Amino acid sequence: MNATPILSIENLVKHFPTKMGVVRAVDDISVDIVEGDTLGLVGESGSGKTTAAQCVVGIYPPTSGRIVFDGTPIGVMFNRRDKELKRKIRIVFQDPGSSLNPKRTIKQILSVPLKVHGMGTERERLAMMNRLLEMVGLPPTEYLYKHPQAIGGGEMQMVAIARALATNPQFVVLDEPTSALDVSVQGKIINLLTRLAEELDLTYLFITHDLSLMRNVATRVAIMYLGKLCEIARTDEFFRSPMHPYTRMLLSSIPVVTDEEELLKPEKIVSKGEIPSPVNVPSGCSFHLRCPERMPVCSTVDPEMIALKDDRVVRCHLYDTPDMGVLDTIIIP
Amino acid sequence: MDRLLEVKNLHVGFRIFEGHLRVLNGVCLDVKDGERVGLVGETGCGKTTMVKSILRVLPTPPARVTGGEINYRGRDVLTMSRREMQALRRHELTAIFQDPLQSLNPVFTIGTQLRDIVKDSAIGRGRRLSRREIESRCIEALRETGMPDPERIMTNYPIQLSGGMRQRVCIAEALSTNANLMLADEPTTNLDVTIQDQILRKLDELVEERGASVVMITHSMGVVRDLTERVNVMYAGSIVEMGETREVLQNPMHPYTQGLMASVPKLTGEGINEGIPGRIPSYLDPPSGCRFHPRCSRQMEICSTESPPFFEIANAHQVACYLYREDR
Repeated sequence: MNATPILSIENLVKHFPTKMGVVRAVDDISVDIVEGDTLGLVGESGSGKTTAAQCVVGIYPPTSGRIVFDGTPIGVMFNRRDKELKRKIRIVFQDPGSSLNPKRTIKQILSVPLKVHGMGTERERLAMMNRLLEMVGLPPTEYLYKHPQAIGGGEMQMVAIARALATNPQFVVLDEPTSALDVSVQGKIINLLTRLAEELDLTYLFITHDLSLMRNVATRVAIMYLGKLCEIARTDEFFRSPMHPYTRMLLSSIPVVTDEEELLKPEKIVSKGEIPSPVNVPSGCSFHLRCPERMPVCSTVDPEMIALKDDRVVRCHLYDTPDMGVLDTIIIP
Repeated sequence: MDRLLEVKNLHVGFRIFEGHLRVLNGVCLDVKDGERVGLVGETGCGKTTMVKSILRVLPTPPARVTGGEINYRGRDVLTMSRREMQALRRHELTAIFQDPLQSLNPVFTIGTQLRDIVKDSAIGRGRRLSRREIESRCIEALRETGMPDPERIMTNYPIQLSGGMRQRVCIAEALSTNANLMLADEPTTNLDVTIQDQILRKLDELVEERGASVVMITHSMGVVRDLTERVNVMYAGSIVEMGETREVLQNPMHPYTQGLMASVPKLTGEGINEGIPGRIPSYLDPPSGCRFHPRCSRQMEICSTESPPFFEIANAHQVACYLYREDR
């Protein structure tokens, strides 16, 4: 990696003690996000991707490990972070219907972050709000005094994005921003987000479960399974040759719509089993129960993250061997 | 192939305080014996209303069928007596809904619910099963869906199971009736892709084995492509395009289908289209003529006044759009 990361997550662990046992939501993940990048964090439900993101924003304090933003460690709760940091890191939630207050007008919703961060006078704030709405493509005169339920889901999500951008952040966490929306609306939001990233020099942590979407927005992809990362790679590399058996299973499971896409999918891997409970994580590699390429070592030893060429990281015993020459041969057309 | 289900020009509305919601606006659907048909559309286009009208489980009022007919093997479903309808539901039609937590009763064990269904569907065919037979059929049905340890599952309550397992139970229930037509209403929308893949594959296999017909209702173009032979694309209460699945997905003709296909993110990574401007209209006051015309980039004068009939493009590929009128 050449550029210095704007955010690095180092050995982040987040456990939730419950009556049934300790839920290992995030179990030792490390990843760097370079400025201007969009890191796509992909995983099935219950894999801990949202918990990881919420630790970054400060909704949960990490159990252990460090989160470093711009050179300073920030691994504490939201209420113990300084205002400047809260201004720089913002989040957009999945369901705009529940993240926007239904009793407030859009003007009131947008003015909250501006007031909290003491930006401008009353009059300047109004101008800022107008500019924010224009930025996300909603005509201010039409939308400023409306309530969230008077507008569509896509427009609500745009307001949520405008609210996140109100404080000129550097880093935005997008927690499944389009999962609650229809595909015909999704395109607009995604294009808006990519445009804004370029215009405002934003760095995104983009959480989703949709790999096809990831292909089109992320510059790097990190795949999560049961609180651990399985594979991190540049998007094009990743889709050209997925390496971890789980990511191959994931890729081969997604339904696609054209023949060209069908060719890009790895050979059909019959998926079996379900994601185990994070209370009862299997011994060794957490994926070994579902893995088609299981070896005896997998059920006893948890694999390490192995750094390969081209900035790739994979956590699987298949790639433990010191002879990295074999890597070239496993490329899947 | 015989025609199994035929929905002709169906109009269904809801009377509510604010007025009359005209949801289904002349929907047509044909299902032949042993055929798998897809019905795709976005949220709020009336897919579920359609399924529920076929099963006649919409609460009336507020719902009201204002026109059209539904024929099942030549018999009119809409005029059937309650008794006939029950018999039909008992061993001809079956449905799987999106949210298994809502279709399973939370206060009874899986076993109790499954046993009831197996028992009743056998009675419907004039057979009374012994307790042991019922038990073994239930376990068999669960095992067929790939459920591990069915004996234990029988004693569990729905909340004790994961989402994928619950949906398997629903599929087991649907299959245990040996129905001829299965209406699957977004059966895998709440599930993860790997689980979706398993469930759909299993469903496909079991349906193939029994020679049953399926109407697959979904918003995912990919699922339709994997599973169905013919597809109907629905927008705001009417079918806008129908034809063989591959043909429709490869050469979408209706501006709506084209927009939809362009906005599906693809693995080839050529970026995502802007999507379709606007949103689905209110059913209280739907647009006149073609219901898509306010969002359509290629609208003409006639679109706002007259609702388009189907124009045939190629073998059985039909599009309800004036762009394809022959005299143009």
